[in-house]
Amino acid sequence: MRGGRRLAILTLVGAVVLTAAPRAARAHDAPERAGAAALPGSPSPSLAVIGPAPPFTLVDPTGRSVSLADYAGRVVLLSFVYTTCRSACPLVTQRMAVLQRRLREAGLFGSRVGFVSITVDPDRDGAATLARYAKAFGADPRGWTFLRDRPDALRPVLAAWDEWTRPLPGGEIDHPARLYLIDGAGRIREIYSLALFDERQALLDIRALLGRPGP
Amino acid sequence: MTRRTLLLALLAVIATAGAAVAEVCLSPWVKRLAGPEKYLYVYAVDADAKDNDFLAVVDVNLASPTYGRVVNTVDLGSAGNEPHHMGFTDDRTKIWAGTLLSKRLFILDTATDPAKPRIVKTIEDIGAQTGLHGPHTYYALPGRMLITFLSSADGNPPGGLAEFTNDGQLIRVFKNPANAPYAYDVAVKPELNRMITSSFTPLRNYMKPLAQWDMKDGGNTMLVWDFKERKVVQTLVTDPVPLEVRWSLKPGAAYGWTNSALGDSIWFFARTPAGSFTAKKAADLGKGCLPADLRQSPDDRYLYVSCFMRSEIQAWDVSRPDRPRLHDTLVPGVSPNMMHVTMDGKRMYITNSLLSTMDYSGNFWVRLAHIGPDGRLKMDPFFDVDFTKFPTGPARAHDMLLN
Repeated sequence: MRGGRRLAILTLVGAVVLTAAPRAARAHDAPERAGAAALPGSPSPSLAVIGPAPPFTLVDPTGRSVSLADYAGRVVLLSFVYTTCRSACPLVTQRMAVLQRRLREAGLFGSRVGFVSITVDPDRDGAATLARYAKAFGADPRGWTFLRDRPDALRPVLAAWDEWTRPLPGGEIDHPARLYLIDGAGRIREIYSLALFDERQALLDIRALLGRPGP
Repeated sequence: MTRRTLLLALLAVIATAGAAVAEVCLSPWVKRLAGPEKYLYVYAVDADAKDNDFLAVVDVNLASPTYGRVVNTVDLGSAGNEPHHMGFTDDRTKIWAGTLLSKRLFILDTATDPAKPRIVKTIEDIGAQTGLHGPHTYYALPGRMLITFLSSADGNPPGGLAEFTNDGQLIRVFKNPANAPYAYDVAVKPELNRMITSSFTPLRNYMKPLAQWDMKDGGNTMLVWDFKERKVVQTLVTDPVPLEVRWSLKPGAAYGWTNSALGDSIWFFARTPAGSFTAKKAADLGKGCLPADLRQSPDDRYLYVSCFMRSEIQAWDVSRPDRPRLHDTLVPGVSPNMMHVTMDGKRMYITNSLLSTMDYSGNFWVRLAHIGPDGRLKMDPFFDVDFTKFPTGPARAHDMLLN
């Protein structure tokens, strides 16, 4: 599948996701319709220093070692996902793909902002599987890296990020559904949930950290 | 991964996304239970404040031979704390539980063995860390806890908000503004980027017996915040002492309700087309109700109000959100206070202690009401957990959480 068409389909699906719930609500809320539209995001978010981002060194699908320290000076959006996930992970990866496009359009992707997605399922997410997953979502390897490692090497990294895992029936994995926004000095400045992640606000947050507030 | 499998995966997510919420009235960031509740955690105050306070674990697994009984207690290790409210972290692995008369705050692990929670951290002096006293509402944010405080560290206004990491590191503090210094509850509507806080009374007042309270030493305001900016953008005026903040559960709906404890009323707040919020009195609960808690049905159809002084629970139909209509009443026993509605909307657990300085009954319990498809309430005649017969004597049952 060609990248443009793929992303267009994913973007369309994402748009349905983003707009379906408010439309459903409005159908029941005729008296409040005027007040039901979402406010625009905040261009001036207050992003406190939540704490230092725990360091890690893991490997990408090509076998290259990648450390968080490699991103010094850049803003990093870090997600924890696994490729067979049928709940929030594919949705958030798709939204990250939309955010990637917007950052590319702004000339910020790669040079100023990097994405890192770490699998929480190293047993099933081998290098080839992760590479296919990244390609399916149109991840641009110039700025978006998928990482894994042997389970014994990955385990302390997940623990440092409070990313516990628990197997569920049917092969699903229960894990904290979080994304982290890390500033150029390696500090956590925002934490998002996978379920309520809004890439429009994330873009504003990234711009604020870069000192380039957006509209 | 092929395009087909990717799209199927995304469509599966879309189909289930709306159901991914915990039971109503918890933060929208709290992970939901995978199935029906098995344990009810009840935060308990030793009634005469001589023995240690504790967290009681009640077995609420219908298939269990010990259903309806206290199967464990977690000793907090000290007395006279006035345990009050508690809340899950976003991943539902820990409970943060604070106190209103001492300065202690407890973090308990409920994931390792849900039947036997254990204290993993005690913050001995929350006032020294935050400059605030009386943590009230524990509201999970992703990876963090947002907590309201009723007072400054000296027991006087202003109250405020503090944010912590899930493992107890302070991130930041916001004190209430001088023109609206009282604090109480908080709730966020993420898709609107709006947070609302409400107002009660500070330690200097609630630490005294109720007869000695200064009824003018309390708030009548709700603050509307830009959530991302953590900045107050508007002050709404209500009847005295607006307590619970309950946003409509419908995604994108820009309205909600609060209960005015001293106005015996429900107030409706809503965003106007211009983007600001208004608040208006929407229902009269009857003189002497003292609405202590306000809960919602998962379908946003009903509000439940506990009338602490009139010993009844009222169910209000809010099909027309700004015009609540009394739908049903229930008498669960004397002085009902906290209510906890299950995520399927079919059961409501009820306790009957408010504060040791306000309680007027010595008969403490946890009871259960069933909620029918017609929204009507009916007491379960078999579920009645007696909180007067612990080895340490009676205990005041207040807040509850399910696991």
